[in-house]
Amino acid sequence: MTELLTVNGVSKYFQQRCVLSDVSFSVRRGEVLGLIGPNGAGKTTLFEYLAGLMPADAGTMKHGDKIVPPAHRKETLFYLPDAIVPWAEQTVSWALHFFEKLYRPTSMSVSDLIGPLRLDEIRRARMSSLSKGERKRLLLALGLLTPHELLLLDEPFDGLDLRQTRDVMTLLRNHVANGRTLMLSIHQLVDAGRVCDRLVMLSGGKVVGEGSIDELRAQANLSEGGVEEIFLALT
Amino acid sequence: MIGPLVGHGFITAVGLYAEASGSGGGPAGLAQGLTPLDGILVPTLGAYDLAATFLFPFVAIRIIAAEKQSGGLKLLLQLPGGLATKVGAKALVLLAGWIVTLLPGLLAIVLWRSYSGHVYAPETLNLLLGHFLRAMLSAGIAVAAAALAENAASAAIVTLGFTVGTWVLDFVAAGRGGFLQQLASYTPTATLRFFEHGLLRLNILVAMLAISVAGFALATIWLHTGRNWRFRLSGTALLLLILGLVMLGTNGVRASWDASENRRNSFSRIDEATLSQVEQPLKITVVLSPEDPRLTDYEQNVLRKLRRVMPRLDVDYAGNSRTGLFVKPEDHYGEIWYEMNGQKIMERSTIEEVVLEQIYKLAGINPQPRAEENVFSGYPLSVQARGAAWIFYGLWPLVIIILWWVQNRVR
Repeated sequence: MTELLTVNGVSKYFQQRCVLSDVSFSVRRGEVLGLIGPNGAGKTTLFEYLAGLMPADAGTMKHGDKIVPPAHRKETLFYLPDAIVPWAEQTVSWALHFFEKLYRPTSMSVSDLIGPLRLDEIRRARMSSLSKGERKRLLLALGLLTPHELLLLDEPFDGLDLRQTRDVMTLLRNHVANGRTLMLSIHQLVDAGRVCDRLVMLSGGKVVGEGSIDELRAQANLSEGGVEEIFLALT
Repeated sequence: MIGPLVGHGFITAVGLYAEASGSGGGPAGLAQGLTPLDGILVPTLGAYDLAATFLFPFVAIRIIAAEKQSGGLKLLLQLPGGLATKVGAKALVLLAGWIVTLLPGLLAIVLWRSYSGHVYAPETLNLLLGHFLRAMLSAGIAVAAAALAENAASAAIVTLGFTVGTWVLDFVAAGRGGFLQQLASYTPTATLRFFEHGLLRLNILVAMLAISVAGFALATIWLHTGRNWRFRLSGTALLLLILGLVMLGTNGVRASWDASENRRNSFSRIDEATLSQVEQPLKITVVLSPEDPRLTDYEQNVLRKLRRVMPRLDVDYAGNSRTGLFVKPEDHYGEIWYEMNGQKIMERSTIEEVVLEQIYKLAGINPQPRAEENVFSGYPLSVQARGAAWIFYGLWPLVIIILWWVQNRVR
């Protein structure tokens, strides 16, 4: 797999507090890369930096060989934040068709996503009236309607029940099979192990490991064990 | 809310206009020179001043603050197109909203016409333009505050603080001259007053537009969370510099149009032609305190007109307040000095004809005899606001409720 994105030496301070420290990793074309770490590890900050929504104190992001300045990041990737309620007064249907028209022509259409994400029953509902899970499914649909090769999803399974989580994992996998690259921020380590090809482990703003589960297991000097054991061993 | 406000202003204005026109058996002379601009339009559309001060800014704050608080801004920033385009689109939405709110005002004008009331289009359009610019000014300031502040409540406090600050400036600067009065002439209240007097001044128009646009531009600079502090501060400094230069440039612009039907902002055509021949600078020193009604008369009846025709006019307000407990009346209080070509004349009168006589004397001009110009006789009308209460207090709220219900019918 070729490298789609290379992140190098990203540091971010909030006043004196270091949130990201010399973070470096790469995203390979056509993979599902998981960014895992506990709450406060800096996952969302890193995503916002990558999306050009937050300036960093140091670091670069390369697309192929070219450094992408923050102002042009939205041409390279699309970031779907967690726990947002955009256009609260509008209906689900309005938001879906707004994105569809905005990014037309794309390989996805609203009708392709209605079924897998079970959006039919909430199409006429206002965004503000949706439950956490309903909102998550809608936001995922919005993200999948974008044409960007790389999609960053912040906590894509948060708020979903077991069955929905499995359905969404299948849907995301299908998208990757169709040529998309995904980077997921996940705090549920079990979910991360199930859906991701490779993982970047973040702790205290630092990358403590990067690679497939087998590679990470080797880095942690473990002969067996899942993502949880690897994470505990590396942090 | 606008409908009942406009309706109240309209119904009250029509009643007072009828009384001034002699419906209650008042003096016949009162009806002379009665103009719908002062009697009907200004009080009716005054509701829009209230709306632009206390309602519209919060609508403007909401469209920015809602994006920030809901997290929608993070999506908005990633959508195709520049942020300036998106903020511009929001400005257009606000503009469209304001145009919709104009409906009750236009309805009031239509009602007035249906009562056989007179409407002079240029002064009406000028007044509507004034209210539009006033609203855009409020929106620009509110949007900038919403972009800068952490949340909607803080933005509302900043915006109201700004409004109250301009009121204080208006009060403090009245009749004091100099930089303070020049600055105060750009406050929202002061700018609207020009339009309410039927005057369209180019510098006011440009300044109001410039401040409004600057507000939206400032919002564009500060809304983008991906920009660092250095970019934001340098962008703000550049914007303020450009705004300062525009304001400085417009300050010297004297072009203006008197849109009023009774030419209240102009001398007679003969006097205007004569004054336009005067090329020497004229300095006027007014020794009247700001709260003296003679100064108000002098401002409205003489200085406002002189400023339009004599670009090289310099007015010095030398009078101090006479209301202070320990303030002694000045020896020269009440004097108005006119200085031109090294000559000085003192005159106490604030009457237009007397003042012009002194200026002609200083300029060495023999004024042409004044021809009888058409004297504005006014448009007295004694009618009742038939049906207005039903429309503004009943029909309008009903239509709004129905529209709201239709809009909220989903789910």
